[in-house]
Amino acid sequence: MTVPDPIQLSWPLPGTESALPAAPVILALGTGLLLMLPLSRAARSALSIGVTLLMTVLSALLVWSTGDGTVLSHTMGAWAAPFGIVLVADRLSAWMSLLTSVSLLMTVLYSAAFPDRVREQYHLFALLQLLAAGVQLSFLTGDLFNLFVAFEVMLVASYALTVLGSTREQLREGFRYIVMNLVASALLVATCGMIYGLLGTLNMAHLAQRATELGPSHYVSAFSTLLLIVFASKSAQFPLGFWLPGTYPAVPVAVGAFFGAILTKVGIYALIRTFSTMFTQEPLIAQTTLLILGSATMLFGALGLVSQREWRRILSFAVVTSVGYMAFGLGIGTPEALDATLFYMTVSVLVTSAMFLLAGIAEKATGTSYITVRGMLEHRPLWAAAFMLGALTIAGLPPTGGFIAKFALVQAGFAASSPLTPLIYLGILSALLSSLIILYAMLNIWRGFFWGKAAKDKEVQLRPVSLRQQAPMLLAMFTVAATALAAGPLGGLTSRIAAQLADPQQYISGVLGDRPVQIPPAPTAEDPEAPDHPSSISPARRAPKAEEDHP
Amino acid sequence: METIFAFVIAILVGVGVFMLLSRVIVRVVIGLSFISYGVNLAILTAGGLRQDSPPLLSEPAPYVDPLPQALILTAIVIGFATTALLLTVAIRAYQVAGHDDVAAFGDNLADDPSNPDGNQADSSHPSPDIPDTEAFEPAPGSNEMLLLRARSELRRTFQDTPLGTAQDQTDNQVQKENL
Repeated sequence: MTVPDPIQLSWPLPGTESALPAAPVILALGTGLLLMLPLSRAARSALSIGVTLLMTVLSALLVWSTGDGTVLSHTMGAWAAPFGIVLVADRLSAWMSLLTSVSLLMTVLYSAAFPDRVREQYHLFALLQLLAAGVQLSFLTGDLFNLFVAFEVMLVASYALTVLGSTREQLREGFRYIVMNLVASALLVATCGMIYGLLGTLNMAHLAQRATELGPSHYVSAFSTLLLIVFASKSAQFPLGFWLPGTYPAVPVAVGAFFGAILTKVGIYALIRTFSTMFTQEPLIAQTTLLILGSATMLFGALGLVSQREWRRILSFAVVTSVGYMAFGLGIGTPEALDATLFYMTVSVLVTSAMFLLAGIAEKATGTSYITVRGMLEHRPLWAAAFMLGALTIAGLPPTGGFIAKFALVQAGFAASSPLTPLIYLGILSALLSSLIILYAMLNIWRGFFWGKAAKDKEVQLRPVSLRQQAPMLLAMFTVAATALAAGPLGGLTSRIAAQLADPQQYISGVLGDRPVQIPPAPTAEDPEAPDHPSSISPARRAPKAEEDHP
Repeated sequence: METIFAFVIAILVGVGVFMLLSRVIVRVVIGLSFISYGVNLAILTAGGLRQDSPPLLSEPAPYVDPLPQALILTAIVIGFATTALLLTVAIRAYQVAGHDDVAAFGDNLADDPSNPDGNQADSSHPSPDIPDTEAFEPAPGSNEMLLLRARSELRRTFQDTPLGTAQDQTDNQVQKENL
């Protein structure tokens, strides 16, 4: 056995081998385990907040180091690229990692400000870090099977968080959520196995290379469609997303904020990775499906929004709608549309997190989860302003980032010249229609919660919410406002991400290098029991992977 | 051999889906296990079936590709963990609701006026109430667990009393004893 090279901790540029992509994952995983120690509450929350800040810094460092188009990759256990697992950070992965860290920061700050004895006793903070480890690994892994493992790490933590507390609603929704996701995971792992059988590799960059060598193939299309089904159910697209609107209101507020902001986006990220990096040969099948699913999801979510009268149920349907917009953007398929989708995703992550936290403190102050309180504008003008910002962003009205994102999406839809034009127009129509419905639903909340005067006999006793408890929401709303104020730089960033995705060769050569993949000869000298061997270890179409090591 | 495997996989997944559609929670869990067995066999088949060719370099060629087996091993471990977790949820649901049926989760049971927690089948494991406290409290000591148990006993006693009173009485009692 060769001794692996010492892990390079030197600054990433200009070489692409760097341990930086592994850092957020390892940090979150280690902290998750550390938090299970019997610590005091103050220690746990301080550790969580400190580590999450550090994770945010690391993710920002990833974004900074990949900003010039470098693709950082780290080979786990120093097994060379297509054989071992690689962690890869290109611009997209780094940006998603940063969004995750920021949302986690809000969630952890909120959890620290609202004590919850029972859930903390059963390791709320530790589970949040483990969840973040899974999410970060999903964004940063460069191996399809490792993506499945990352999904499972993420989902197991999210299952536990969903049912933590064992209220009847949580058990009901949690059971649905778990069963739905287990079926999807079974499909994902089966697809991984079949893709391996066909292409002989699971490394995403190598898959992309081999799929290109193979040319357009029905098998590849079939397997990528299977992946599409899996990721569509993970991201709660219309026929597969019925678990979402029930689950997210059932979990605690802070957890719901992280679920709503990030978990569905993992599915969207995986879709982008599959169809922009791995299987780019026959895009039309996936685009057709995504356009139809996206249009349906937008309308389904928008109609759901109108039907609800509770804060977080409304917001959960807003998450469904936003996922529909992203699927629509991916379905258009041009780099401009991808750019708009990524901008929309950024805005959506931040605004979902902010609105869930606002809902949380509103519920805390009024003692009810319903929006029919009336007259809160007098008592809490700051919350009303924050809500207006969030509502306009979700509905997509100027001067918010939501408007810019939706405008760019629709514009990209009109500008696209593809054989799917009728479907794109259908998507644009449902996008505009559902925006209108969202606006109506948001005004419903405004009328129900903030506007008017409470009836004399129904005067609500407001419970105090300290500034420390409001701070995470205000911070999150500030980031939402920043998407409008700093729309120029943000748009530049997302268009650079889209430009890199449009050229999958950058990702491939970042991971595998520019030389073709060499299959190493069978080991001879080290193993005394196996003195010499024919090199028939590798059948022509199948490269042996030296080892898979999984977290 | 692939044909036989294809049929076996089809049967396993078919049985799994059939059980998954059941209303009984344990059957759902078993159904998911069947599906994952089918999936594992599918990976094995897709990775190439070959007899008398162990992936051991100490043996002469031919070799079977060992990677699908590594994938299956990982999938089995993950499946084991998720099944354990799902069974825990099932047990919790049974304790909270007293049914081994998806109806245990149903909204109609949540409407049971005399008992907001449903019929507890197992009074020695009461479902924890989530306190809506602003201040952090220490973990419940043994006294507090005794109180929780006493409370669920009282709840059974007062089950026939009209709306809400049982809850109020027990709450008062708990508060008194706390004082």
